[in-house]
Order: sequence, then structure tokens, then C-alpha cells
Amino acid sequence: MTDHNMPIANPLVVLREEFDDWAILFNPETADAMGINPVGVAVWKQMDGRHSLEEIVDDLGERFSEVPDTAGKDVAAFVNQLVELGFVGYELKDSGR
Amino acid sequence: MKEQVSIETHPSPPKVMYSPRSVDVEITARCNLHCRYCYFFDNPAVDYQDLDTDEWLEFFDELGRCAVMNVTLQGGEPFVRRDLPALIEGIVRNRMRFAILSNGTLIDDDMAAFIAGTGRCDLVQVSVDGSNPEPHDACRGKGSFKAAINGIHALQRQGVNVSVRVTLHRFNIHDLENIARLLIEELELDEFTTNSAAYLGSCRLDGDEVMLRTEDRGLAMEKLVCLANKYDGRITATAGPLAEARLWSAMEQARTNAAEPFSFGGRLTGCGCTDNTLAVRADGMIIPCCMLADMELGRINTDSLIEVWQHSPVLNRLRCRHDISLTEFEFCSGCLYIPYCTGNCPGLAYSLTGHANHPSPDACLKRFLESGGRVPIETGI
Ligand code: SF4
Ligand code: SF4
Repeated sequence: MTDHNMPIANPLVVLREEFDDWAILFNPETADAMGINPVGVAVWKQMDGRHSLEEIVDDLGERFSEVPDTAGKDVAAFVNQLVELGFVGYELKDSGR
Repeated sequence: MKEQVSIETHPSPPKVMYSPRSVDVEITARCNLHCRYCYFFDNPAVDYQDLDTDEWLEFFDELGRCAVMNVTLQGGEPFVRRDLPALIEGIVRNRMRFAILSNGTLIDDDMAAFIAGTGRCDLVQVSVDGSNPEPHDACRGKGSFKAAINGIHALQRQGVNVSVRVTLHRFNIHDLENIARLLIEELELDEFTTNSAAYLGSCRLDGDEVMLRTEDRGLAMEKLVCLANKYDGRITATAGPLAEARLWSAMEQARTNAAEPFSFGGRLTGCGCTDNTLAVRADGMIIPCCMLADMELGRINTDSLIEVWQHSPVLNRLRCRHDISLTEFEFCSGCLYIPYCTGNCPGLAYSLTGHANHPSPDACLKRFLESGGRVPIETGI
């Protein structure tokens, strides 16, 4: 059984941060790459298997001004996209952490 | 000639990425062949020495920390290094992908299987310059054609993505149709790339015997354009006759129609490598590109890669070449192609003129036409 609320970044995926706070996520296993904006970078850094989506969204509220009401949905959609690409998985709930 | 353009005082170097995306590594200064037009050997300014395994592994760790995505291993001939598997493991461990440029002659099934097993190899590029041993071996040495084809077969058997580079020279332009048939129909490659022997490295010594003359170049352009159409885009080029045929045809049509300047035209925009790539010589010296081999920027494991990438004045000068207008050069004085011209490769310009920030005389349409050359018109662009 998995806890679908605690995403964890695939440790093989590389985060290439640029000066403008945008970044590239690169999966060397598949050669897939995607550009992400500063909000995406902040979300990525919270995906350590210890933060729920709700906590990640709350954290955005502390870092960025004017977080829209749709932030929860947007973050969930972003994370789902990353899951589909194999960039992110979920910790097992009872994995003994 | 007018005074050389100075960009030392450029107000702010262009914004660059935090680190290079790709690094070209000349992993060895040794080779089992000695090709007549090798761009790599016989550069008097280069110290042809190899580093040991640990030095490269330390450097690959730094590349990993800098989030570099791709390493291209070249040489010399990378497969002469017995420690190549250990070096590749160092690349893989640091979350990068890799490609290898090779003459193909030392690749057997065991090596190909190892490469396939990493799951990280984008391609192995093998040089094939003929449809049979004669034109290939004429410049690369007896037995090298058969060995290269064996290497390609081993890579294909193990499921490694193989690409072929065909270097055009005076002895193989009449074999082009057969080369295309061999590579695409018999070996069933998805595509192959072409360039031509150029005034670099060993080719500076007897280039006049090997390099394409004006009439050879015209013929090569015509044939390659036909073949690229026949094989539906499966023959490509970023330099050499096919690339020139396409660019020059567009330039000629634009000039004839007095068209608007090309967006990239009129300035030295012929190369963007310094925006995303660095190179390292076999002796560990960091250079902007393998074609600018004596432009030393620092040394691996001594100088910080990020520091060199972001702050090297030499590199930042090269990055500013995009701002240099072709009208500044006596070389281009009065040329009607200026609004459409990019000045082409800085590496060749440097080899031929001693200045990287100069148009390359080798890729000058005006001079090609003045020497009696003709550009094929219908190129499908
Ligand atoms: S062209 Fe390649 S195979 Fe030939 S000598 Fe140079 S490095 Fe070796
Ligand atoms: S002289 Fe040659 S390099 Fe200069 S603009 Fe004309 S075609 Fe281009």
C-alpha cells in the first residue's frame, strides 16, 4: 500500500538550477528533460517523502506572494506529470521510516 | 585590413547558464590509426599526453556536482583506453549520459554489450568514409574499413544506437551514392551525418592533397542535396558541403530577391557552442571547443569548472562574437551576402587566420563563387 500524499523525487533525476531561478529537471535514465519555473523548483525541493502535498502548498504560501486559490490543484497536476515521467514516486506508508 | 574588432570593453558579457550542459572530453591523445585528415593530431600548440583514470574520475565527480547532463568522449580513439569501462562508470555514477566518437575499429561484442548495459549511451558515432575499403583505407589506413564495419555490426547486435560520420575528401566524392546505399539500405542506419576534410590538425600538413577543391565541393554539394532528398532527410550536416549547399542556396536566393536580412545574418553568429558546451583536452586543459585546442582556459581538478565557465575572459570574448558585424571586416568589404551571412565556424577561422573572431575564409560564399564554384539551387528548404 502506498501513501499517495508524500511524493519523493527520483534520486537519479538531476536538478539544473539557472541564474534566473528557473531550472531543468533531467532524467539520465530516459534522457527526458523539462524546464520548470521557480515555483516548480520550490515544489521539487520539498519532495523528500516527508512532506504531504498540503504541506508543500503551505510552504509555497510562505515563500511566494499571491499564491492563487488553485495552487493545490496546480501542484497536484504538476506532481502527477512528474510521476508519469518517472521523475517522482511515493514513499510506502508503512516502510518503517 | 581594418583594425581588428575589439570587444574587450563589451559592457556586459551575455548571460550564460550556471554550468555547461555538455562537455566534450578528449579522453585520450592516442589512436590506433593515423588518418591523413585528422583534425586532432599534429597541432604544434598541443601537448599530446594522457591523464590517468583517477584524474578523469575526479573530474567526472565535479561535472556531476555541476549538473552537467552529457559527456561526449572523443580523442584520439577512446577505445584504445583499457580503463574506458571504469571511466564510463564514473560518468554514469554522476547521473550523466554519454556519447562516443570513434573510428569503430576496436569495438567488439563485449565492449558493445557493456555500453548497452549502462542504459545511458546516446550514441556511438563511427567514421566511415567509403562504401568499400578503397576510398576509406586510402586516408585511414589498410584494414580500417573492414574493422569499422565489424564495430558497427557489434554495436547493432548489442542494441547500441549507432551513428556514422562520413568525412568527404577528394578520394570518396564519386562514391557518395554507394556510401549512402551501404549505410542506409544495407546497414539500415536511421541516418548519417557528413562533413569534409578541413584545414585543421594533420590536414594542415597535406590538406592540398586531400581537401575538396572548388569543383569537388560543387559536385559534393549537388550529390548530397540529391541524396538527402532521396533518403528523406536521413543525411544531415552541420558543416561541410551539405550544410553549405543549404545555407548558400538560401543566401543566393535572398540576395537575388533583395530579401530582408536573415535574423542571424550580418554578424558572427556561426556558432553557439560556447553558450552550452565546454571541452577538455587529453592532457586536462579546459578549452572552449575541440577546434580551438590551443585556447587554454584552465586545468581540470585545479581550476573550478564553474569559475572557468562563468568568468573566463577568453570564453566571454568568444560569447560576444555574435555582436560583431561583418561590415567591420575588410575581408567582407562590399560583399552583397553580408545581410544573410553568419561568418561560420570560429575554429576554422582561427586555424586559417589566427583569429577566432573573424569570418571563416573556408566557408565564404563570395570566395567560393569567385573561384568558379556553383551552388545548387533546389535544396528543399
Ligand atoms: S581522425 Fe580519428 S581515427 Fe583518424 S587518426 Fe584522428 S583520431 Fe584517429
Ligand atoms: S565575404 Fe564571405 S564571409 Fe564575408 S559576408 Fe561575404 S560571404 Fe560572408
